[in-house]
Amino acid sequence: MKSWLTDLPETFPDAMVIVDSQGRIVEANAQAASLFGFDKRKMSGLLIQALFPGQLLALPSGRSAQQDQADPYRELVGSRSDSSRFPAIVAIMPVKIKQVTAVIISIRDLTETQRTRFVLRRGVEILMSESQDRQALLGHLIRAREEERLRIAADIHDDAIQLMSAANLRLQQLRLRLPDQAARPILDKLQEALTLASSHLRQLIFDLRPSGLEDGNLGAALRVYLEQMHADTGIAYRLDERLNARVPDRTALLIYRNVLEALANVRNHARASTVAVELLVIEDGCLVRIVDDGVGYDPADVEDRPGHLGLVLIRERAELAGGWCRIESSPGTGTTVEFWVPFGKSSTKPDAGHERAG
Amino acid sequence: MNPMFGQDGQRVLALITGIADLTADEVDRVTDAWKQVCPSDRATAWARLVRTTTEQERYQILAAASLARREALATAHRLRRADWAFWAAVSDAAAAVAAGARIGRHYDTLTAPLAAVMPPLAAFPGRAPASVAGFTADDPRAPAVFSEGA
Repeated sequence: MKSWLTDLPETFPDAMVIVDSQGRIVEANAQAASLFGFDKRKMSGLLIQALFPGQLLALPSGRSAQQDQADPYRELVGSRSDSSRFPAIVAIMPVKIKQVTAVIISIRDLTETQRTRFVLRRGVEILMSESQDRQALLGHLIRAREEERLRIAADIHDDAIQLMSAANLRLQQLRLRLPDQAARPILDKLQEALTLASSHLRQLIFDLRPSGLEDGNLGAALRVYLEQMHADTGIAYRLDERLNARVPDRTALLIYRNVLEALANVRNHARASTVAVELLVIEDGCLVRIVDDGVGYDPADVEDRPGHLGLVLIRERAELAGGWCRIESSPGTGTTVEFWVPFGKSSTKPDAGHERAG
Repeated sequence: MNPMFGQDGQRVLALITGIADLTADEVDRVTDAWKQVCPSDRATAWARLVRTTTEQERYQILAAASLARREALATAHRLRRADWAFWAAVSDAAAAVAAGARIGRHYDTLTAPLAAVMPPLAAFPGRAPASVAGFTADDPRAPAVFSEGA
């Protein structure tokens, strides 16, 4: 047997031993001697079990080809001459040449691999934990932002607009008492400015707290915004609203915010001539699709750069509500923002009974 | 420790590692196949996916979809393909594999485009032996980091 096996093991990069049908080592390469801490010559004659004490190697017999073709890989614990242990992956291959049966066993030390695995696993755990913290923080930010919007809207309505209305009344009284006719054009200008400022503030209130939503008319509120955008930018729009169910106020507000965020990107970056907004009911939730025909972008370039809070917020809002979101684009093909949010409150538990409704 | 991509993490990883091996022709086939799927069916499948999972599971599924999408983006770049339908298809398939049998027939909706070039994707645990991209679930040669159970 030695005639054809003597030089073979040294040609392999891994530790390798050749054992006879009794499980005795007949040849070992220098890598094996080094891995197990033996003198290479002293390995000959050792039982292979000595290198893997207490473990079943199940060496192939050479009698049954089917049995011998079973999975050749085993994860075992190797034992060095100084009794120290190491994890190893072992490949066991039977060979039979000219009636001589032997088994080639290659052994690879997995210590470094396992260490790397552990470090990687820890890294993944830390990343997941930080990502969840970030998501929680963003959720808090979104809720706080919404509350702040409502507070500002209420303040403008109860304070600034009331004061301006009062100032307008005073101006009208002043106009009646003013003897100097020449001063009237100045008063007119002043009154005009006050009326314009009031109008702007009312528009601001609408943006902060769209009144259409409170009436359950999401489509109408979006149409108002799209019409205004068309007037401001010339971007044509198509609104396809197929909501055959009343959208809960909270969901409607989320959708409204997300659509506005997506449209802000269309206005500011897309260089689009048309945008299509589609709303339909799917799976007891609302599917929203915003598609523009603008210049698009390369996700590989854009997504790794910071500064895309708008897109992040769209995704986070949808996911926080228990929905999903897809934002896709390619250069020259426009951008598609698609998200779905359930009508019900989001849950941390799976909706096991939903199959009945679906 | 919870597996990074859920209980079928190894199948997800096998899918992801298989993406880099796709040819330009296969990328085109996946892209075309994705466009053939009814958008409403796809949206319904995703809705079911998020409805039938816990927050933690959703997180794992979205992580799988996100990583697969990135791999698909890199592959598309290398092959000079720029249609986002391809990476959307890969992302859908990875999410479905991570979600597994719990999404029922919707699994097919999400995986079908990629399964056109990766036939083992058509099987999911419970319907046929787990095998994706040539790896069985207990194959020791498959990347091991994600193979450890909870």
